[in-house]
Amino acid sequence: MAEYLETTVDKFIFRVARDRLYNADGIWAVWVESQGDGLVRVGLTDYVQQHSGDVAFAHIKPLGTKLALAEEFAEIETIKATVSFHAPVAGEIVAINSDLDLSPEIINQDPYEKGWLALIRATNWKADRARLLDPQGYFSLMRSQAEEELKKL
Amino acid sequence: MSRTATYHTTVRWTGEHWGHLAMGNGPEMRFAPPPDAQGYENVFTPEDAFVAAANTCVMLMFIWAAKRFKLNLLGYECRTEGTKLIELDRTEIFTRLQFRPVIRVAAGDEPPAVVEARVRRALASAQKYSLVANSVKSEIVVEPEIVVEVN
Repeated sequence: MAEYLETTVDKFIFRVARDRLYNADGIWAVWVESQGDGLVRVGLTDYVQQHSGDVAFAHIKPLGTKLALAEEFAEIETIKATVSFHAPVAGEIVAINSDLDLSPEIINQDPYEKGWLALIRATNWKADRARLLDPQGYFSLMRSQAEEELKKL
Repeated sequence: MSRTATYHTTVRWTGEHWGHLAMGNGPEMRFAPPPDAQGYENVFTPEDAFVAAANTCVMLMFIWAAKRFKLNLLGYECRTEGTKLIELDRTEIFTRLQFRPVIRVAAGDEPPAVVEARVRRALASAQKYSLVANSVKSEIVVEPEIVVEVN
């Protein structure tokens, strides 16, 4: 079970899991040692799922798709918006969370665990991970993004 | 970019228990209390306005949600009931708003159970994102009847 950094902005509580890395889009990436070589599970952060709204559909690029770093790999349709997300690592999509077909709301309910999006066989994990933010780095970025949004209200 | 908006109405007393209401969006009408509060029948009342505000807002939000959830909506009708409680100190409050929407959708190529589950999610989102439903402190209960039509 992941532990979290937690902050409150306005009346909203946002959590950042301590056991993974992040890109600036709010995609998390976690190395999955138990599932073979070079596998990285990816998903949306709590802040991104809350900010995007209730998820209606999640479209992940098909199995076998080869992704360059930062290439678009997923599109989430919510009640309010359609949002595209970019791969935090280069590699090949080797699994997609099939629960998202019938229950995409698990992205909202459990973004760091049951609501994962895809498993990517990373081709250059060492280099890619160096570009990602650690939990504290993403936590600070996310907090400033949320506060910026708040100023627009 | 501002993300707030304001809405206004103007009321004017016209004598006894009667008033005139001008809505910010155009319509004007007479209003009075309902019969159980020393009022009259067949006239717009604050109580009906409150229930109607929630009912209309949830419906419009559901229409939006149905589009976002890719539902082929065939019909929507909802009777909503507001329950008023008169408290010991004689103040009054709407404790509960009970929505009973009857929703008809076409299944298309999908299994009816899948479509019905999506209708329920769209309805939950409609309630969550409805400005008015989100603004009231009454308990909100939604008991939908969902009809998925298979061709």
